[in-house]
Order: sequence, then structure tokens, then C-alpha cells
Amino acid sequence: MPGQRPLREADIIYSYDGSLAGFFCCVFESFARRELPFAIWDPEAEQPSLCPVRDIPTDPERAARVRRGIRAKLGPAAGEKVAVAFLSGQADKELVLLRFLHHAFSVGPGALRQLGRPEVAAVNNLERNVQWEAEKLRGFVRFEESGGMLGAVVHPKNHVLPLLRPFFCARIGGEDFLIYDASHSEVLLHQGGQTRLEKLSAPLTLPEPDAAEAECQRLWKQFYETLAIAGRRNERGRMNHCPKRYWADMTELRDQV
Amino acid sequence: MEQSVMEKLTILADSAKYDVACTSSGSGRRSGPGGLGSCYAPGCCHAFTADGRCVSLLKVLMTNCCSFDCAYCVNRRSNDVPRATFTPRELADLTIAFYRRNYIEGLFLSSAVLGSADYTTERMIEVLRLLREEYGFHGYIHAKAIPGASPALIQRLGCLADRLSVNIELPSEGSLKRLAPDKGRSDILRPMGQIAASAAASREAMTLYRHAPAFAPAGQSTQMIVGATPENDYQILRLTEGLYHKYSLKRVFYSAYIPVTEDSRLPALDTKPPLVREHRLYQADWLLRFYRFRADEILDESSPYFSPYLDPKCGWAIRHLELFPVDVNRAPYEMLLRVPGIGVKSAQRIRTARRQGSLGLEELKRMGVVLKRAQYFITCRGFTGAQGGRGAARRQRIAHALIDPGVFNAGCEQLSLFSAPAVQQLAAQGTPPQLAGRLVKEEAVRCLVNAL
Repeated sequence: MPGQRPLREADIIYSYDGSLAGFFCCVFESFARRELPFAIWDPEAEQPSLCPVRDIPTDPERAARVRRGIRAKLGPAAGEKVAVAFLSGQADKELVLLRFLHHAFSVGPGALRQLGRPEVAAVNNLERNVQWEAEKLRGFVRFEESGGMLGAVVHPKNHVLPLLRPFFCARIGGEDFLIYDASHSEVLLHQGGQTRLEKLSAPLTLPEPDAAEAECQRLWKQFYETLAIAGRRNERGRMNHCPKRYWADMTELRDQV
Repeated sequence: MEQSVMEKLTILADSAKYDVACTSSGSGRRSGPGGLGSCYAPGCCHAFTADGRCVSLLKVLMTNCCSFDCAYCVNRRSNDVPRATFTPRELADLTIAFYRRNYIEGLFLSSAVLGSADYTTERMIEVLRLLREEYGFHGYIHAKAIPGASPALIQRLGCLADRLSVNIELPSEGSLKRLAPDKGRSDILRPMGQIAASAAASREAMTLYRHAPAFAPAGQSTQMIVGATPENDYQILRLTEGLYHKYSLKRVFYSAYIPVTEDSRLPALDTKPPLVREHRLYQADWLLRFYRFRADEILDESSPYFSPYLDPKCGWAIRHLELFPVDVNRAPYEMLLRVPGIGVKSAQRIRTARRQGSLGLEELKRMGVVLKRAQYFITCRGFTGAQGGRGAARRQRIAHALIDPGVFNAGCEQLSLFSAPAVQQLAAQGTPPQLAGRLVKEEAVRCLVNAL
């Protein structure tokens, strides 16, 4: 916008509640004051610092204004990109997104296609990383049946549950299931046709498999092991496609960790 | 004695594992309320085996009891191996149990020829019918059409499956006659033609009537064995190109021949599977499908084999150095695709980003374009092409950048199965594998330097 004050780097830390709405309020604050904070902390990131910390309360109305502004000025694709990149587990994701938004609002919707700009490339990397992990986990999630419920545990780096939700609801929506994200203590719970995404205060443990479940796991493991062709063994290939950090949650690889 | 499901699964997965196709892409089938499963159009890998291959489907044979006697096949009648047969119900239950736990995207059902081709196909249809109609299963199903089955049965199979495939088995009619005397070439090509025609008709009907039945919505694929017979790479690639055009195949798969039997018509039992060759065929196949290459641009009569040391795109670029370097800010998209090191994603990103302003090296790097090889073939803002010194030193550097580092057994005490044949040969004569790799690499670089 013409005649606007230039953006100033400020020695201040924003502290917010970790939600997307809360982050949008940080965006509001930063645009209103024309300042780029030194850091943006979610509740888990708080630590001693010499910089003053400003609490940014979550105001749904302000958040909605920012959300609408992004869609109106930058297009729906930008809104989607910000929402996905925000699921990243990278510590400085808020600042990366904030820098991108300052740049994009000064350029307009074309900013999304400036793939070589540092502000844009950084957000694209966040987004790609989140999508990559979600894509892997669509395949690697392993359910165990217990008492009529299918349960799975995952340890992702990013908050992928919102991206897994439509995928699993479309295929096993007729059953009750839950996916527990143990790295972020979040759970996707689908029960009686209703789906909820929740933050948990205490860790969740799935019950030990019963005899029928154990038999099914044995069959799968046997199938998996039978498939490997000894004459083509390629451990590096397997690790490239299926990084070891996922193995502990996968029925067929659990005991190779 | 009655076999357990565990025993049957072990035998019938083991006999199916040499089948290479395991993709689940191309279908958007969805279930209504109460149904189970959906297809995910991009395809989904659920596991990776110790040999690094994707497991997407429960890939098994219905039975491995075979009345045919194809020389290259473990299941041939004359081979003494344990046999098993799934009942349709067992297989349908197993599919559902695995699918609900997210082990798989669906079922890949193939079979040996039990009695007759028609009888076998009827049993396969029964499995698919149970899954689709009784269990309301909407996951992915890939069924293999049995050569010689009647057209009506293949039609029924195609209405239940997402993808059908007919194995072309060997790259030429002569080889087929010699090694698979029970399968005629027309037994293979006739169903392929039928599937292509039915799929096209069903696509047309679906544009007219919303509820027209879908016939194999994910299309058809085929596979062939490489290295059991004397065809060269150019013949195989030409055949592939023809199959894509004539039968609108979605995929052609190649499988490096692994000796499974002692037979005078086949390579000796200690022959190593030609994995580098298989890899090059897949690379060339991608060039045909996504990079707008023609088979006769990649290979020709006078040089009908792939270099084990160079990927086919690099090979093409080296024969056409007069076309390079290209300016990434101006070159047509088709030309960007031909730059070694620039893949489809990078080319698309360049095309998008250059409209917003001219690109330099920094921009390319940030976008994720890998410059190791590309730098010798491009110019951009503030960059007139990598020089890397002059004369012999320059050619030396370019050769090192272009050569495929994966085939020289680098950093491996043991001989890798993916090393070039020359490395394997030296190692077989007693040279330590690491040294063998180094020697062959030096020689390959020397040859390439002379060609530049």
C-alpha cells in the first residue's frame, strides 16, 4: 500500500496460544505496528530471554479479518498454503510465514509464483515438508483392532492429523477409529460417524492386541517378509522411502528397530 | 492335510512376488455410506520391502497350481514346489482384514492356470464379486487377465476391477514361442485389445450417462521379463512405445530376470539379474511418458544398448551438445525438460517463476533445482554456463558430474547388485569390489571425456 511506514525489525517476542487463529492475531499485530518481531513463541517454546515478551491474545474477530484478507488479496491458494505450512513442526514456522505475508501483501497474488524469492521459497519448503510427511503417513499408519475400535499411534514431526482426516474418513468412515499423534499429544477421533480433533493432556496407551488381532498382524508380517527378493536386497532404497523414525509404529518393522 | 491361511499366504505371496506392478494410482472410486474403502488417485505406498520396493496391494496368486509349462516361471507344471489354492472367501476376508488396518490399498490378484483359463478367471471373478458386492469394498483391485480366457469373462472382470493387466512376458514372439509354448502371442494381444476397446467405450458412455458401469477405470498395464532372452534395449523400448500408443497402456513394467531354474534355453543359474539395465529401461520409460521423448531419440539401430554409466537423458544431451546451453529464462518448456538434472517438477517451477521476473542461480537453487549436472547445460541471469576450467580439465569435470555415481559400488566393501556389469565381472575375477568400482569408473570417465 502506498505511503505506508516501512517494516521495522523489533526487539520483541510475541507469545500466542499456538493455534492458527492465535497466529493470525500475531499477523494482525505485526501489520498494525509495522514491526517484525524477533521471535514468535507458542506455549511450548517459552524460555528465558533478554527480549521483552508481548502476549498476543486470541481474538476470533481479528483472526477472521486476517483470514479473509489473505483470501481476498492473495487468493484461496494462499490461504490453503498458509494453513498447511502452519502445521509444520519447524520451530520458526511463524516467522517464516509472517515474512512471507508481509512480502505477499506488498506484491499481490503474483507473489505465490515468485518461487525463487527467499520469503516464498521458505514457505514452500515448509508446505512441501508437511505434505511429504502426510503422504508417507497415509500409507504408514497401522491400525490395531480392539473392542470394535481401530486405533493407531504415530510420531510425526509435523501436525499431520488434519491432513490425514479426509483420507481415513473416506475409507473407514463406517467404523470407529482413532489416530494418536504421540509427538504432539493430539488425537483424531472418529466415533459414531462424528470426527473430532483434540489435544490430550495425558498420554494415551492402546490396549495389547487380543488373539485375533495378533494373528492378523502375524499374517501381515509374514506376507511382508515373503515379498522381499533376496537377490535384490537394497537397504538404502528402503530407508530412503521409509525413514527409520517411522518403523517403531509399523507392525511389520517394529521389531527391527 | 488342510493348509492354514498362513501357509497358503506364504506360498501364494512367494509365487506372486516377481510380478513387478504394485501401483494403486489412477482410480477415484469412492464408497457411499456404510461402504468400505476408497481409491486414492495418486496411489499410495503402504510399506517398503527390504529390496526397497513399494508395497501397495495384497499381491498374491489365487493358486500356483499351473497346467502351463513356461520355462522362466517358478510355477511351471514341471517344477517341484509346494502348491496352494485360496478359496474365494479366504482371500476376500484376508483383503478386508488387511485393508481395515491400513496395511494395503487393495488387492492385486493374479493366478496360475488352474485347469483352464476360463475356470481360473471364474474363480477370480468370484473373489472380486464377494469383495465388491457382498462386502461393499471400494478399495483398489488390480486383476490379471489370464491369456486365453473368453471375452465375456474378461468383460466381467473389468467391470469389477480398477485395473487389468495382461503380461506380455517376453519382448518378442520368437522368445515367447521358445520359452512359453502354451501361450500364443495372440492369446496375449487379443485381451489387451479388448480391454483397451472396452475401457474407451466405458469412458465414452460415462460422459453420456452418469451411472454407466466403469470398466477398469485405472486402465491397463503389462510387464515383461528383461534379460532372459536376446532382445536389445532398443527393441524393448520400441515395443514399449508401441504398446503405449496402440493399447493406451497406463504403464509398462520391466523385471530383471532372476534365474529360477536350470534350463538350456535360459541364462545359467549363476547369472546376476540385470538390475542396472532394468533401471535404465525405467528411466527411458519415464522419458517417453513424461519428458516427450521418442524411442528413436533415446536409442537407435546403430547404438541399441543403454550405457550402464549414464542415464538415458544425459546420453541424449551428450549426443546433442550443439543444442546447449539453453537460457532457462527463454527456453521452451519442452527444452527445459531435456536438460540433464532438470526434472518435470523443476521445469514446471521454472516456467511458473520466470513469468514473475528473470531467474539467476540463487533463485534456481531456492526453488529446489539441482545444479550439479544442469549447470553445464544452462545459462541464466548473471550466469553464462559453468566453465570449470578449460580444455581437458573442464571435460574431466563435466564427465564426473554427468556419470551415474550409483553403479560403481562406491563406499561398499561388498559387491552391490546395482553395480555395472563390468564391475561385477572384475570382482568375479578376484578384484576387490571397491577397487573394481574405481577402475571401471576411471575408464568410464576417460571414455566420456573423449566423447565431449
